[in-house]
Amino acid sequence: MMILMASDTVNIYKPLRATLGEVIEESPLIRTFVLIPDEKFVFKTGQFIELAVDGVGEAPFTPSSSPLVTDRLEVTVMKTGYVTGIMHELKPGAVMGIRGPYGRGYPVSEFKGKEVLILGGGCGLAPIRSLLFALEHMKDDLEKVILCYGSKTPADCIYKPLFSRLNSIDKFEAYRTVDVTDDDWDGPVGVATALLDQIKVKIENSVAVVCGPPIMMKFGTIRLLEMGYRDEQIYLSMEKNMSCGLGKCGHCMMGEFFVCKDGPVFTYREIKHNPEIWK
Amino acid sequence: MYYISIKKEDWHRSLEKLLTSHDIFVPVKDEFSLDYEPFRLSQAENIAYNTPKPATPLKNFFLPVRENVTSAMNNGRPRIIIGAPNCDVEALGLLDEIYLDEAFTDPFYRNRRKSTILVSSDCFSVNNHCHCTSYGVKPYTMEGADMALLSEGDYIFLKVISDKGEELARQLSSAAGVNDPESLLFADQRHEKTEALLAELNRGLPDYQATGEIIRRAGDHIWVKYASKCVSCGACTTICPTCSCFLLIDKPDFKKVKQMDACQYPGFERVAGGEDALFELPHRFRNRYMCKYVWRPQKFNSLACTGCGRCIEACIGKINKNELFMELT
Repeated sequence: MMILMASDTVNIYKPLRATLGEVIEESPLIRTFVLIPDEKFVFKTGQFIELAVDGVGEAPFTPSSSPLVTDRLEVTVMKTGYVTGIMHELKPGAVMGIRGPYGRGYPVSEFKGKEVLILGGGCGLAPIRSLLFALEHMKDDLEKVILCYGSKTPADCIYKPLFSRLNSIDKFEAYRTVDVTDDDWDGPVGVATALLDQIKVKIENSVAVVCGPPIMMKFGTIRLLEMGYRDEQIYLSMEKNMSCGLGKCGHCMMGEFFVCKDGPVFTYREIKHNPEIWK
Repeated sequence: MYYISIKKEDWHRSLEKLLTSHDIFVPVKDEFSLDYEPFRLSQAENIAYNTPKPATPLKNFFLPVRENVTSAMNNGRPRIIIGAPNCDVEALGLLDEIYLDEAFTDPFYRNRRKSTILVSSDCFSVNNHCHCTSYGVKPYTMEGADMALLSEGDYIFLKVISDKGEELARQLSSAAGVNDPESLLFADQRHEKTEALLAELNRGLPDYQATGEIIRRAGDHIWVKYASKCVSCGACTTICPTCSCFLLIDKPDFKKVKQMDACQYPGFERVAGGEDALFELPHRFRNRYMCKYVWRPQKFNSLACTGCGRCIEACIGKINKNELFMELT
């Protein structure tokens, strides 16, 4: 008798279909797509999916919604290139394709008993929001959660209501800054790393999570090291051209790592030997 | 592992019979090149056994240039591929690690591997740029194929390596086991001669262990110098038996087409935001060397370069990677 292995019947390249529920305008260039997948979709916070526009292309995104919710999924997309441009034209009811979840997310169980410092910039707040949902769920096991977030302008800040909500949660603190101010802004001005000067954190019992544009990741990491964080306490969510998500196509290679499979979340210790990481 | 022998004409007649159930490919030499062609009894005299090396790398049988990977699984006829040199057989190791990875097995690759009987062919001579032994690869096959073929006089000797090889041996009606060690002495002599030729041809070439450190230390001027003759055509990666990167292309109705790709093409690593770590040609050029000699060896157990030398032969800029290694040694 022939025994069928699971892998004999699975086609790793086939997407799951999902219907677009709602489109939320977060900023002039950023929208959140609420997706209703045809099947329950389970992911770990920090893992990513390949989201496809039928016949056009697909691109990697880390869901911005809670990993505890499995019947819907939120993906926050900045209009940047060809695929995301067409995504922004989509209306509720459109059918999209999802592959994944892929990669290694945030090891949240290792954060227990610790203070979690999160440094975010721009669209990097999308994966961070999912992480914040996961951390909120386990807040009894955490000492503290501090979010320091910077956007280019006040208008570019996504999930604005999130900040007041976070500040109302016990053990959570959220800070915002902008690079360029406008008339209505009375908060701090400067890069996100500057916010690190005003927070109180017990570094020896802390982990730091950095997610944002490459330049912010680099200088954020440097600043955290200066503050006294050790290499293994810093978690970076790396951004590369993840195309297949399966550790095969080679587009996301960062040194010896396939970012799609070995990451996208790495500790700085795992990747610091590689000068390619900030490229 | 054991040997069987069969008269050459019986071997070819047996192959013809097997054509009713199998697709069979053999290495055929003409005035221009040596490459795989479908077996035809009438062309049997043009089959070049034990000669390096088919122009097409073995990977092309398992990783087509372009295929629809959302279509129904292709359960086509089983295949017998005859004549792969050991450098190509060894290269399957890396492809297996990537495509048969337990977490994400590529079903198309797996089916092709399962339905293929691989009869490799020991090399009795060398080509200009062959350097398998420099990287610890033998010019003859002991594992990784189902059978290894040695042609001597009127006879074909077949080293039976795997269960699939044994199954094929059973179907060769007139084949008999070789019990006389004397009759196989020629094989050792042939192997030794080929290894001596390779040693002579590649004297001073660093071994695979050393290549990584050499590449890691190479200064920017080396990459600028060698890349100055590169036109990003991707011939080196296309012809390489271990290069296996690809692009997924979306087609209507959520169909996906997988097409072989190359890090030597512009835009390979470009992200939507515009960052492109391999924008500059010398960076792309270096990437291939880093991948083969530094990064893949860190990540995988199999060799990422088996010394076939095809990349040197295929380069229209006449870039010779072994000259680069010799310059840095």
